[in-house]
Amino acid sequence: MNVIIPEDMWEDDKEGVIVSWIYQDGAEVSEGDAICEVIVEKIQSDIVAPASGKLSIISEADDVVQLGQQIATIS
Amino acid sequence: MLPDNETRVQMYRTMLTSRHMDDRIMELYYKDKTPVFDIAAGLIPGEIHSSHGQEACAVGTVFVLGQEDWITATHRPHHTAIARGLCVKKILCEIMGKANGLSAGRGGHMHLYSKEHKFSSSGIIAEGMGPAAGMALASRMQGKGGIGVCYLGEAAVNQGAFHEVMNMAGVYKLPFICVIEDNNWGVSVSKAASTAIARNSDRASSYNALGLYVDSNDPDDIFNKMTEATEYTRSGKGPVILELKTYRLQGHMLGDPQHYVPEEEKQAFRDCTIDYKNKLVEQGVLTESEADSIIAEVKKEVDEAVEFAINSPLPDAKDALTGNFVE
Amino acid sequence: MNMSNNRVLTMARAGREAVKWEMENDKNVFMLGEDVYKFGGVFGTADGLGEIFGADRILDTPISETGFIGLATGAAIAGMKPIVELAFADFIGVCYSAIVNLAAKHHYLSNGEFKVPMVLMLGSGGGYNNGGQHSQAMHACLAHMPGMKVVAPSNAYDAKGFMHAAVQSDDFVVYMGQKRTSGVGFFGSPIPDSMSEIPDEPYTLEFGVARTVKEGTDVTVVAISWAVHQAMDAARELEKEGISVEVIDPRTLVPLDRDSIIKSVKKTGRLVVADEDYQSYGFTSEVIASVIETEPNVFKSAPVRVANPDTVIPYSRPMEQAVLPTSARIKQAILDVMK
Repeated sequence: MNVIIPEDMWEDDKEGVIVSWIYQDGAEVSEGDAICEVIVEKIQSDIVAPASGKLSIISEADDVVQLGQQIATIS
Repeated sequence: MLPDNETRVQMYRTMLTSRHMDDRIMELYYKDKTPVFDIAAGLIPGEIHSSHGQEACAVGTVFVLGQEDWITATHRPHHTAIARGLCVKKILCEIMGKANGLSAGRGGHMHLYSKEHKFSSSGIIAEGMGPAAGMALASRMQGKGGIGVCYLGEAAVNQGAFHEVMNMAGVYKLPFICVIEDNNWGVSVSKAASTAIARNSDRASSYNALGLYVDSNDPDDIFNKMTEATEYTRSGKGPVILELKTYRLQGHMLGDPQHYVPEEEKQAFRDCTIDYKNKLVEQGVLTESEADSIIAEVKKEVDEAVEFAINSPLPDAKDALTGNFVE
Repeated sequence: MNMSNNRVLTMARAGREAVKWEMENDKNVFMLGEDVYKFGGVFGTADGLGEIFGADRILDTPISETGFIGLATGAAIAGMKPIVELAFADFIGVCYSAIVNLAAKHHYLSNGEFKVPMVLMLGSGGGYNNGGQHSQAMHACLAHMPGMKVVAPSNAYDAKGFMHAAVQSDDFVVYMGQKRTSGVGFFGSPIPDSMSEIPDEPYTLEFGVARTVKEGTDVTVVAISWAVHQAMDAARELEKEGISVEVIDPRTLVPLDRDSIIKSVKKTGRLVVADEDYQSYGFTSEVIASVIETEPNVFKSAPVRVANPDTVIPYSRPMEQAVLPTSARIKQAILDVMK
């Protein structure tokens, strides 16, 4: 399953940055776990795992991300 | 609600206990410090802020309180501590710095503590406010129904902590009463010179609190208003300021001749132990000879406590190093 | 210790995890301070907790530090376990008496009758241009005064363990979270060394036990809080130049693990102490004094302090950076003691 930045996470004229990954590449995650911290301007929020499984990270910490962007997969 | 006669006699006895203890302390305090006054010398070193004249404020308020209620008192704590039931022997031992004092000599006269009585006193002006409000909050969170009562002098009301805590008590609608003992003097500065308004209880509206005022220094009147205060605050309506006019008969601390108090004001000082006795006798609650018996009994008890304290041992110097932490 | 799932957390997150667990497992624990309920604390210390525990247990206060520190003291005496969130360490000035004369002294003055099991969380330090009144470390002002334990963790693993220990302790504990090491996103990327693998379960760490972050033989660098990471940067660089640096993080200012520090200096013979706080009368002085009064003959060269040179912290970037214990200054100090 793809892990994407939710479309409604922030106003669409802004960009976010990945602050840190809580789980590392290859880790087992459960649905609902907070797996990543993203910041937009001064507001920090969590990305939660949409499913359980093994995490494969695509975007790294410090990467700029857009709404709807895929940042990882869970298989 | 006015107190019944049994309570009134008990209040009278308690006022006398506090007074006689303060009289003995005063005598012992000066005795060892002459000819040149050395504050560090003698059986009772340091400062003593006696409660002479304010005993009515303590009995009239504390006698309304219950087991679950918490009290914080000031640098002038003797009358409040005795009204709350703290052991006179242990108070005296603590004041003399003895090993069997309330805090084994660590606190001294301004820092009287008793967990059993939910009582503490502190020497920093107005800083009993926060803790008393916190005790009230805790009691509510624990479902215990207790209220927090903070005693303050009228000059302390100008300290920031008073304002901050009254405001919080108003915001959180805490079961909290601030009892202001207005003896008109903050050390050497009169209330008129330090306080922008005539009555501190008028400040209550700033905090959405109830403001009450008693000017008689009479235990029955104080008991009555304190009952009203506790009922109000226990019902969840918010905090109360209870302002009590009283008299500071022996200066800010022992050794203070009060030169700054105008002579006519000194002449107008009233002594609640005398006034209340006269009232009780006049109303037939006590006869003269019953009152005299109480006085004699109290003197004997307190004198025994004084002897006990004088003969108690001082703590070991090395005990100074322990007690900063629980573990 | 279960290192399951390799979660790597920032200090703020790890500390919050401990607070959450404590609040779930002890109904007497509650948090109070400015902006904690809806805002989650200005440095993320209470993020998300308001939704879980509600407005009564994550209690917003008015701007009344003296008032609410006194309030927390009283609540602690009466059996609760309050965690006070005081956003900026600089603000202790406003409520210093409530901290040092009430919370810190009641236990001693009452001969143990009144315990004050309270945690005071402070956001300490600067380095991000917040100006002289919002950037102070305040280590010495607190560590100097009797009656309070003071912990200043440098990384997430320590942050969680010491938060558990602080809340569970019957003592009054001051918990200092350096703002830039917190890992909260608006300070930029978290310092990599400040993030740690964190076990799911709770664990406590012992006050008064230092951690040797890096072993070495030529010089001992004792550093606290943010300065630990600067010391490590300097140490890694100097390793390549053939200098073996031992870095020690005491983690707790009170009680201070003097034994570990002394043992290390006996081994290396050289000492550098790094601290973001003002230099004179502070942590750096304390460490040096502690070593020299026990082992006066152990030094191969004079010890060096790397701290704020007793100046009000300036706003402008080049000026502020010049007064911080940066890795460049620590590196120079190490080279100086190696001469």
